[in-house]
Amino acid sequence: MTGESTAQAAAATTEAAVAETAGKPPAVRVSGLWKRFGEQIAVAGVDLELPAGRFIGLVGPNGAGKTTTLSMVTGLLRPDQGTVEIVGHDVWRDPVEVKARIGVLPEGLRLFERLSGRELLVYMGRLRGLPGDEVDKRATQLLDVLDLAGAQHKLVVDYSTGMRKKIGLAAALLHNPEVLFLDEPFEGVDPVSAQTIRGVLERYTASGATVVFSSHVMELVESLCDWVAVMAAGRIRAQGTLAEVRGEAPTLQDAFLELVGANGRDAGHSLDWLGGGTR
Amino acid sequence: MTSTTDTHPADGGGAEAGTGAGIGTGAGPGGTASAPAPATGPGTASLTPVFIQLKLSLLRNGLRQSGGRRAAYIASIVFTLLFAALQVLGLILLRGNEHAATIVVLSMAVLALGWAFMPLFFASGDETLDPTRLVMLPLRPQPLVRALLAASLVGIGPFFTLCLVAGSVVTVAHGAAAVTTGVIAAVLTLLLCVTLSRTIAAANTRLLTSRRGRDLAMLSGVVIAVGIQLVNFGTQQLSEAGGLDRLDPVADVLSWVPPASAFGAVASVNDGAYATALAQLALSALALVLLLTHWTRSLTRLMTTPDGSTLQAAEPTRDKARAAHGLARVLPRGRTGTVIERTLRYAWRDPKTRAGWVSSLAIGLIVPLFNALQGNGSVYLACMAAGMLGVLMYNQFGQDTSAFWMVAMTISSTRDAYVELRGRALALLYVTLPYTTLTVGATAWVVDDWQSFLPALGVSFALLGAMLGLGSMASYLAPYSIPQEGHRNVAPGQAGISIASIFGGMIAAALLCVPMLALTIWVYVSDSHAWLWLLLPVGALYGTGLTWAGLRFAAPRVAGRLPEILAAVSRG
Repeated sequence: MTGESTAQAAAATTEAAVAETAGKPPAVRVSGLWKRFGEQIAVAGVDLELPAGRFIGLVGPNGAGKTTTLSMVTGLLRPDQGTVEIVGHDVWRDPVEVKARIGVLPEGLRLFERLSGRELLVYMGRLRGLPGDEVDKRATQLLDVLDLAGAQHKLVVDYSTGMRKKIGLAAALLHNPEVLFLDEPFEGVDPVSAQTIRGVLERYTASGATVVFSSHVMELVESLCDWVAVMAAGRIRAQGTLAEVRGEAPTLQDAFLELVGANGRDAGHSLDWLGGGTR
Repeated sequence: MTSTTDTHPADGGGAEAGTGAGIGTGAGPGGTASAPAPATGPGTASLTPVFIQLKLSLLRNGLRQSGGRRAAYIASIVFTLLFAALQVLGLILLRGNEHAATIVVLSMAVLALGWAFMPLFFASGDETLDPTRLVMLPLRPQPLVRALLAASLVGIGPFFTLCLVAGSVVTVAHGAAAVTTGVIAAVLTLLLCVTLSRTIAAANTRLLTSRRGRDLAMLSGVVIAVGIQLVNFGTQQLSEAGGLDRLDPVADVLSWVPPASAFGAVASVNDGAYATALAQLALSALALVLLLTHWTRSLTRLMTTPDGSTLQAAEPTRDKARAAHGLARVLPRGRTGTVIERTLRYAWRDPKTRAGWVSSLAIGLIVPLFNALQGNGSVYLACMAAGMLGVLMYNQFGQDTSAFWMVAMTISSTRDAYVELRGRALALLYVTLPYTTLTVGATAWVVDDWQSFLPALGVSFALLGAMLGLGSMASYLAPYSIPQEGHRNVAPGQAGISIASIFGGMIAAALLCVPMLALTIWVYVSDSHAWLWLLLPVGALYGTGLTWAGLRFAAPRVAGRLPEILAAVSRG
């Protein structure tokens, strides 16, 4: 993470884009979203309005319902209740408009791993209805930019975690979606691959597209995003620009701990034997 | 949910590889002489008991698993012991039979073959014997091989082998000299089998621990299933009068091939051919020495060279792009061609899918042909080939695993779902149509009944069409996950769905074919043989109609149930 300077730079570049997209419908509008798995309520009434052209972070501790929410927003999981609109189109009633406009990189789902990296991209591009030559051109460029050109003929099953995330990102970007949903795109990714992914995403949002990604690494979100939604126990605790959500707190991390009610959970005296001194 | 890390091959192996110390320090040219003395002291003395104790602990720990696994563990031991007892009993009863020597020599050859293939199927079965786990320890090749060999002799498999060789001595040995030879032969055979298995495992550790090796192991079930069919066929042939006489020449050859040659020696002693016996025993002993040498070399190499993960990264990339374009050129354009291409690639590259294809292809061919060869076949039995391949259409999305989300993201209308399903059915047809024609043709040739060729093909096409149509429906009605690791083909808790899908689908397909069968029977009964050829176009049209109807019916429902299908196929 390069820190504040990148965040400011990213914010500055998106400022213009935001001005441009003003007046457009929000990238994502979620209202009253519920999902229950047996006894457990995974998502308990989520309302969200994510502006277009922003780099948006969905943050929350493990088990907060981020993956469930993103799955429902992208049409991969049917909600028990509630509506989801993407750029003004209902996800469940108007899949033709929605699916062409979104790119998705889910977490915990496989890819077609017995295809090589290039074959996977060509496969996805053709399923998306892109012409063959265009798919080849875009796949070549994406493989180059994401530093996968050397491994393009290797089967995805033999890829490392970082390479899988990158090929997944390439597959999600291939049809130039308006809104990109990434579930934990930096989880288990080495710093070099992470930087590559950041570079591509920053360039993508700078052109006016929207990125929504989930993470539980606050420093990452703080340095990348200009808009944040905080989730805990299946609900949205706060949403708004980075500054709004951070409020008085010195860092997003502090604001986040405050919001999810994890502050003051100090180890106290229970581990006073731990560390130097008497063994 | 699957973690991506556990599918990545040879995790953690890299750390071990770099050290490369292992047994290699003293194993190089001249290294043994200059090696420091202390290392040999404790190593040689205590290594063998340590390994045997380790093996015994592992066997004991098999009992410490959860209830179901423990039950399976105990059941497998009991079953093996019972089987061994039966074998011994059978061998003892065989004593005095004129074919006793033939059978013993043949069983020894089969036994050795079994030991040779064992590491390929159960690579991870025995942790004590995986030499890559010992890389960090300062061990010398000779004591290590001795210890590993001793540890390999502990276990159910070696015990089973011991029972078999002991029983074989009882069967063939007549007189003191023969018994003495028999005891030597038994020991030699046991050692040879175990060493053979270990040598093959060590020589192929790279392959066996790699992703490719695990893919291959996935086929073992199919190999066993097909093997059973072959054995079944073989026994039927042999149980006929004079069947065993045919094996005598085979046994004559095998009695010069180790380890069967050791028991060939016992038979030779019986006949008084002592020189022959000595040569046969020497042959087995020589084989043992050669195997041990090879094993030692493999072990040394294994522990002093980088492991698979490093080699894989350095693997040169081949230019496969051109070949891919070649395949794409003959396929239809658009989504249809894309789906066909991916389906056919998966049939070859995905171990689970490939196992399904191979077993369907093998059984569909073996059953009608073997029945025909035995003289009780019918051309109509070849319809089974179509039926076996039609089963592959069931649970189409389960074959995608959770990667189905990629398909789901691109299906936004009934039309998309229809083209997707139709593409998958077409991919099956690319293989099924020529295959069914070939099987029916081959069966007609063997039973010499060309008159039934066209009508049987017609019935096959009708059955195939019914199964493709019903398979499309089963794919949305009863999708289930296929675990990617291990030998299970259904995720826990979904067995009921899979049984309902496949058996229900088969029964429904048979019912749908009733009109076609009735028509066929009617043509035969009414003695209008001149019209038999007409059954081919009728069957083909009927099948096409059923497939079309199935696809039409399934498409809107697939498009409407994408999240539910995804959830059902993501459990593996």
